[in-house]
Amino acid sequence: MNTARFASALPWVPLLPLLGFLVNGLLGRRLPRTASAAVACAGPLLSCLLSFLAFLQLDSPHAFIECRLGDWITVGDLSIPFALRVDRLSAIMLLVVTGVGSLIHIYSIEYMGHDRGFARYFAYLNLFLSAMLLLVMAENLVLLFVGWEGVGLCSYLLIGFWFEDVEKARAGKKAFLVNRIGDFGFLLGLFLLFRTCGTLDIPSILHWLRLHELEGGLALTITLLLFVGATGKSAQIPLYVWLPDAMAGPTPVSALIHAATMVTAGVYMVARLSPLFFQSQATLFVIAVVGALTAVVAAFYALTQNDIKKVLAYSTISQLGYMFLGLGASAYAGAVFHLFTHAFFKALLFLGAGAVIHALDDEQDLRKMGGLGKKLGLTFAAMAVGSLALSGIPPFAGFASKDLILWSVLEAGLTRNPAWLLLWVIGLVTAFMTAFYSMRLVGMAFFGEYRGPEETWKKADDPKLAMGLPLVALIGGSFAAGIFGWPHLLLGHEEFVHYLEPVVAPAPLQGHGEHHLAEWLNLLLSVGAGFGGIALGYRLYVQSPLLPAALLQRSAHLRQAYELSFHKLYVDELYDRYVVQPLHIGAEWAWEMCDTLWIDGTCEGIARQVMDVGASLRRTQTGVVSIYAVSMLVGGIVMLGWAVVLTL
Amino acid sequence: MSLLDAYPLQHYLLVSAALFALGIFTLVARKNAVAMLMGVELILNSANLNFVAFSRYTVGNFSGHLFAIFVILLAAAEAAVALGIVIGIFQNYGDVDADALDGLKG
Amino acid sequence: MSPTALALVQDLRLFLPEVILVLTTLLVIVLDVTPVRKSHRALLYLTFCGLLLSGIYLLRHYVDLRESGGRASSSNVLLFGNSIALDPFAVYFKGLFLLVGLLTGVLSIRYKKLNPAGEGEYCVLLLCSTLGLFLMVGSRTLLMAYLGLELVSIPSFVLAGFQRDSRLSNEAALKYTIYGAIASGIMLYGMSLLFGLAGSLDFAAIRHALEGQTELRASPLLLSVSMLMILAGFGYKIACVPFHMWCPDVYEGAPTPITAFLSVGPKAAGFGVILRFFYQSLSTHSGGGDWTPIVDQLQWPIVLSVLSVATMTVGNLAAVAQTSLKRLMAYSSIAHAGYLLMGVVVLSKDGIFAILFYLAVYVFMNFGAFLFVVFLHDLVGSEDIEGCRGLGWRAPFPCIAMAICLFSLTGLPPLGGFIGKFYLFLGVIGRELYWLAILGVLNSVVSLVYYARVVKAMFLENIPRGEAEPLPVPFFYSAAFAVLVAPILLLGVYWAPLVKLARYSSSIFGA
Repeated sequence: MNTARFASALPWVPLLPLLGFLVNGLLGRRLPRTASAAVACAGPLLSCLLSFLAFLQLDSPHAFIECRLGDWITVGDLSIPFALRVDRLSAIMLLVVTGVGSLIHIYSIEYMGHDRGFARYFAYLNLFLSAMLLLVMAENLVLLFVGWEGVGLCSYLLIGFWFEDVEKARAGKKAFLVNRIGDFGFLLGLFLLFRTCGTLDIPSILHWLRLHELEGGLALTITLLLFVGATGKSAQIPLYVWLPDAMAGPTPVSALIHAATMVTAGVYMVARLSPLFFQSQATLFVIAVVGALTAVVAAFYALTQNDIKKVLAYSTISQLGYMFLGLGASAYAGAVFHLFTHAFFKALLFLGAGAVIHALDDEQDLRKMGGLGKKLGLTFAAMAVGSLALSGIPPFAGFASKDLILWSVLEAGLTRNPAWLLLWVIGLVTAFMTAFYSMRLVGMAFFGEYRGPEETWKKADDPKLAMGLPLVALIGGSFAAGIFGWPHLLLGHEEFVHYLEPVVAPAPLQGHGEHHLAEWLNLLLSVGAGFGGIALGYRLYVQSPLLPAALLQRSAHLRQAYELSFHKLYVDELYDRYVVQPLHIGAEWAWEMCDTLWIDGTCEGIARQVMDVGASLRRTQTGVVSIYAVSMLVGGIVMLGWAVVLTL
Repeated sequence: MSLLDAYPLQHYLLVSAALFALGIFTLVARKNAVAMLMGVELILNSANLNFVAFSRYTVGNFSGHLFAIFVILLAAAEAAVALGIVIGIFQNYGDVDADALDGLKG
Repeated sequence: MSPTALALVQDLRLFLPEVILVLTTLLVIVLDVTPVRKSHRALLYLTFCGLLLSGIYLLRHYVDLRESGGRASSSNVLLFGNSIALDPFAVYFKGLFLLVGLLTGVLSIRYKKLNPAGEGEYCVLLLCSTLGLFLMVGSRTLLMAYLGLELVSIPSFVLAGFQRDSRLSNEAALKYTIYGAIASGIMLYGMSLLFGLAGSLDFAAIRHALEGQTELRASPLLLSVSMLMILAGFGYKIACVPFHMWCPDVYEGAPTPITAFLSVGPKAAGFGVILRFFYQSLSTHSGGGDWTPIVDQLQWPIVLSVLSVATMTVGNLAAVAQTSLKRLMAYSSIAHAGYLLMGVVVLSKDGIFAILFYLAVYVFMNFGAFLFVVFLHDLVGSEDIEGCRGLGWRAPFPCIAMAICLFSLTGLPPLGGFIGKFYLFLGVIGRELYWLAILGVLNSVVSLVYYARVVKAMFLENIPRGEAEPLPVPFFYSAAFAVLVAPILLLGVYWAPLVKLARYSSSIFGA
C-alpha cells in the first residue's frame, strides 16, 4: 500500500539539511553567526515537520511511502535506483533522528557560540543529519551504505573537530580505522547477499526471503558478516574501542552522534533486515551473547570512570548492548523501542553533562565537581531525570523498554534454551550496575561539597534559553517516552510494539499470560535491581563519600576489581600489544622486504627508466619551428609508407 | 572545349603536385618566417588547382571552384594575421628568423 | 522571394545560437570602438551574456530535437544546402563549447597579463573562435569542416600571441600560426584529392560514391594518402602524434586562459569532426551500432589506434620530466588526445558515447587545473611546480580542488575522470582490442607519476622558509574552484544523467 500523496515531499527530508550544509559549508565564513545558526536549524526543524507528516500518513499496518528519483547506477544486470522509502520502522527512526537532532542543533547555538569554527561545525552537523536520514530512508542497501559511510565520515570530522589537538585528531583516526573493519564485513555481506538474492533492494530481498529458504551456512555467513558491520558502527565487542575516544568531539556531537543516532545505525540495520537475520538462529544467539557481554562489560567500565563523558560513553555502549540482546532474542520491536527511549534520555544526559562542562569552564573530571545541585538547578533536574530513566525506574522512559527486552530474554530462556537464562541474569546484573554508576555520577557531581577552584564556582550558572529549552523538552521526553510501550502488566497496551510488528519479523512467541508469574518476577527484579543500584550508589557517594576509598583500602579483592574496571580490563593495552604492535611489526617487515626488494628494485627501476625516457623525449622538443615541420613531415611520410604497405 | 582536349587532367594534377612539393621544400629549407608563409601559400594554391581541375574535368559542377574561392579568401585572412604576428616578432626580436625562436622548448 | 532564399531564411532560424554569437561579436566590436567609458571587464560580461543567450536557444533546439521524434536520426536537420547538420551530436558539442567559452572568460577575469585596453578584441576573437567550433562539429561537408577549422584557428593564432610585449607569447603565436598553416595546407591538399576521387564535398555523398565504386583499382592507395593528409589537419587540432610538436610550446607561451581554451575547445571540436568524417564518409554502418571501414584496404582504425598509443605514450612520458605546470598540462592534454582516440578506433557507438562522456568531464578537470595555474600566477607569481611547494597548507581549498582535478585526470575513483576512463576502456574491451586497453591502462599508471608529483609538492613538501603564513584566497577563486570541482565529484558518484545525455547525443551513429 503505497501512499503516493506524500511521495514527492520525501526527498526534501534529507535534502533540507544538505542545503544547510551547502550554505554553511560554502558561505559559512561570510555569514553572520545568527544567519548561519538559523540556516543550520531550519533544515532539521523542517525535516522534522515533514517526518511527522509522513508518520501521520502511515495509518494502515503495511503502509509505506516510496519515492523513486531515477536511476543511479546501471551496469549490466545491476540496476540501483535512487529510491527512498518510509515505512513504520523508518518513520520512527526519522522522528527520533530529526526530533532529537533539531533539539541538539538548537542547543549547539549557545554551546558552540564562541567557537571559531561555528559555521564549519553546523555544516558538519547538517551533513551528518542528511547522511543519517539517507541511511534510514534508503530503499536499497547500496544507498543505505552511502548513508552508512556518510555518517562515519561526519563522525570522523566532528570527533577531530578541534584538530589542532593531536590527541583528538588521533581519536578521529581511531574511529575511522575501527569502523573500516566493520564496513569491510558489511560490504562482504552485501556482496554475498547480492550473489544469493540477485538484488540489493530491501523490499525485494524481503520478498525473496518469503519465497525461498536460505541455506543454513549461507544464512549464517551473510548475517554474521552484516553483524560485523553493525558491531563497528554500534560499538559492540570487539569493535567498541573507538566510542569512548570519540568523546573528544564537542559535547552536543557526542549527544547526537555517539548516543542518540549514528550508533543506532547497526540496530536499525538488523531490525530492517530482521527476516533475514531470523533465518539464522545461530547468528541471533551470537548477537544476543555479544550484546549481553557488551552490556555488562561496558557497565563494569563505567563504574569507576572519573570523566563525566567517559561514564556516559560506556553507558551508551552498555545500552546498545541491551538493544542487541533484544534483537538476538527476536524482540525487534522491543529493541527499537529501547533505541527510541534511549535516544531521549541519553541525549538528555549528554546535554546535561554539556551544561555542566560549559558551566565549569570545560571541566570534565567528576572528582573536581560536587555540590552543583545547589547552583545548577535545571541541569541537576536534567541529569536526575536522565539517570532515573537510564536506571529503569518507573515511570521514566528506560523502564518500559528495558523491561520488555529482559522479558523477551527470560521468555527465550523458559521456552527455548536455558542458556538464555544466563543472558537474562547478565542483563539484570547490568541493570544493577547501570543504576549504581548513574547514581555515582549524579552523586559526585551534584551532591556534597564542591571540590574545584573557587572562581569557577562563582561563575557557574545554569544554561540560558537556547541550551535550556532542549533540556526541558528532553526532560519531558524522558518522562513520557515510556508511555508508548507501557507494559500490559501495569495496565498498558504496548502500542509501540504492536505498531512495529507488521514491519519487522515476528517474534517467535507471543506468550502473554502463559508465564504470568515469570513476567511479574522479571518486572520486579529489573525494577528492584534499579532501586538497589541507586540505593547503594546513594549510600556510597552521597551519604558517606569517604566510604568508597576506605572500602578499597580494606579489601584487596575490591581493589583488584576497581583496577580492572578503571583500566577497562586492559583491553586497549591488549589490543595494542596483540593487534596493533604485530601489525606494526608485520608492516615494517613487509616494508623492508617488499619495499627495498620490490618497490626499490623493480618499480623504482621502471620509474627511473620512465624518467630517463621522458627526459630524452624532452630533448626532442627543441623549440625550433623548422625541426617541428620536418618531424611532422617525417611522421607523415612514415604513415604514408605504412599505408602503402597496408594497401598492397 | 578545345582546352579540355589539349590538356588532360593529369597535367593539372602534375603541376599541382609540383607546387605542393615546392611549398613543402620552402617550408623545410627557408628559415625566414615570411618565406615560410610563402611556402604555405604555394601549398594552398596547389590544392586550389586540384579543386578547380577536378571540378572542371570529373565532377562537372562548381563546388570545387567554390572551395577554391573560399580558400583564397581564408588564405588572405591567414596571411594578414600571420604577417601581424611576424611584425610583433620583428618588434620584439629585431629579426624574423623562425629558427631563432627557441625560448619555448623541452 | 525565391524558394532558395526562403529556405535560407528558414534555415537561419535554426541557426540562431550561431547568429547570436555573430551579433554579440558585432556588438562588442561596435562598443569597443565607440569612445564611451566602459567599466573594467564590461565587454567580457557582455560576452558572457551573448554566450548564455546562445545557450538558451541551443537548449530550445535540444528540446525540439527530443520532441520531434522518438528516433534521433529522424530528427536530424540539415541546414544551408546540407552543409551543416543540426542533430543531437552537434548540439551536445555546442553546449560544451559554450561552457568552454564561458569558463575561458571566467579564467580571464582575474588574469593579470590581460591588458584591459585589448579586452574588446580579446572577446571578439574568443567569440569568433567559439563560432568556428560550432561550425566544425556541425559540418557535413569538407568545405564546412575546413571553414570551421580555419575560423577556430585564425582567431586563436592571435589569442595565443595576445600579450604583444611578451616574447614568449609572440613566439607561441608564430609557431602556432606556421604549424597551423602547414597542417591546414596539407589537409586541404588531401581534401582536394578526396574531392577528385569521390566527386563530391558532402560526407554522405563521398560515402555513396566510394561504396558505389566496386572496381576501385588504383584508388585505395590514393584514398589512404588523402585520408592521411586530411588527418594532418584534424590531428593538429587534437594534438596527436606526430602533429603534436606545437602543443607544449604554444600552451606555455599563450596566456593561461587561452591555453585552457585551446586544450579543450579545439580538441573537442577536432574529435567531433573526426567522428563525423571518419564515420559518415569512410565507414559503413554494419548494424547494432557497429561500423566497418568502407573499403577493406583502407584500415584507418589500425592507423588511428597506433597513433592513439603513440600519442598517449609520448604525452605521458614527456610530461614526467616537466617542471612548468603549463607544459605539464600540455603534455597531459596530448596524452588525453591519445585516450580519446581509443574511442574513435573501436568503431562502435559505445566508443563514441565514451568520447562524448569523457569530453564533458574533461572540460571541468582541465579548466580546474588551469584555473589553479591562473591562481598560482596571481597569488604566488609562479607557473612552475616549484611554486606549489607547501601551498597545500597555506591555501588548502584551491590545492584540494587542484588535487581532485589531477586525480580525476589520472582516472582515480570516485571521481568523474574514473567513470569517463571506465567507459572508454569498456568500449575498447567490448571490441576485444585488449592490447590497446592494456597499453592505455599502463599509460594511466605512468600519468599518476607526474600528476601526483604536483600533489606531493603541494602537500608533502616543506614550505620555503618565511612563507608559512596562510594565503588569503579571494572569494572569486574559492567560488570558481567550487563550481569546477563540484561536477567532477558529482559525476564520480551520480553519472546516470550525463550517460543518458551522451547516449542520446551519440545515437546518430546507430541507436
